[in-house]
Amino acid sequence: MSLDLETLDADGALRETAAAASGDTRAAFLAKAGLLGGGLAGLAALGAPEFAGAASRKGDIAILNYALTLEYLEAAFYTEAERKGALRGELASFAIVVGGHERAHVKGLKAALGRKAVKKPTFDFQGTTEDAAKFAATAQALEDTGVSAYAGQAPRVKNDDILRAALAIHTVEARHASWIRDYNGVAPAPAGFDKPRTKKQVLAIVASTGFIV
Amino acid sequence: MPEPLTLEMNDPEGSLRETLDEDGRSTRAQVLRRAVIGGGSIAAGGLLIGGLPELALGRPSKRQDGKILNFALLLEYLESEFYVQAVAGGALSGELLTFATTVRDHELAHVDYLKQALGGAAIARPAFDFKGTTTDATKFTATAIVLEDTGVAAYNGQGPRLRRKTLPAAASVVSVEARHAAWIRHIAGKRPAPAPLDPAKSRKQVTDAVAATGFIA
Repeated sequence: MSLDLETLDADGALRETAAAASGDTRAAFLAKAGLLGGGLAGLAALGAPEFAGAASRKGDIAILNYALTLEYLEAAFYTEAERKGALRGELASFAIVVGGHERAHVKGLKAALGRKAVKKPTFDFQGTTEDAAKFAATAQALEDTGVSAYAGQAPRVKNDDILRAALAIHTVEARHASWIRDYNGVAPAPAGFDKPRTKKQVLAIVASTGFIV
Repeated sequence: MPEPLTLEMNDPEGSLRETLDEDGRSTRAQVLRRAVIGGGSIAAGGLLIGGLPELALGRPSKRQDGKILNFALLLEYLESEFYVQAVAGGALSGELLTFATTVRDHELAHVDYLKQALGGAAIARPAFDFKGTTTDATKFTATAIVLEDTGVAAYNGQGPRLRRKTLPAAASVVSVEARHAAWIRHIAGKRPAPAPLDPAKSRKQVTDAVAATGFIA
């Protein structure tokens, strides 16, 4: 991770938040990944009116930057898979369609955050984008994790415009998860209720992949 | 299963009368109310689902949560009964039958969960007439797509109107509805995720769509 706190943290919000979170064992990881802090210039994403609005609360900004990091990861994964050209048939279509959605989510979240958006990390997908079986298994894990991440954060969002956007993205991630699960021959909807995950749980999963360099 | 949700809304009398007054302005509400009463439900069944103008819903409150959860319960009653009848109907096979059986169990679990949350304020199950869509595989598939996509849009529309403490329960249900929607779309050869953002629908939009099906007998 080559992110620099000085560059990211123009108004000191990041260090302030990181200090407040210093009891958290993941604080160092979070700070390193640039997931904390920010400010908000305005929401103008995806051309969707429900995404237009403004948020100023630090909590919402932190949530948006956390979501942006997950979307950066997903978008980069699919974009790289498409570029490597190892996928065929429906799997290739899946990567193209879902990649388009994740790139749209990135664009929307970045627009919402303006100058406060965290920068895209550097990724190393460890060969999972150039092997169909590894790609399919990884996509399933990423999408299921994304669903649980949005579900975990939605009740924490203060601003209703941001909440509407988060909910609109949340169910699309669930559709992606269901699609790739059905392709993989596993139950698309494995339970009657999806379990939310905390930011800490999600970031532990992300860290364990080694995808963020 | 998310944390049990209890609204302790066991005093529906006063709020129901208020809801009746609000809904009394809507002709659609009257149609649905008659329909539900005709189906043997208690009056509350019809009152809470009427085409209540969005403006009539104020800021999140316990009472508003109750109305929204009853609206969700109506949709879950509809979905669960649709799949119960489809599985029993014997017209489905292969993955379509697996889909219907799995989703039936999920929707029944959602009904139980919402009824428990609402306690004495829960609306009764209306009578349904699915007009042959549960006994024909092609019609079943097309109808399931509409029901599941509508369910996603309905939950997404109501999410911001819920108190944040009630939102986790809705969030854990809505993504399952989205999984169902994508699954049946995939079976039908349609794009499982048609857009980067799922649309949200207002209660009135959803209620009108439900009324248009004629499924509530």
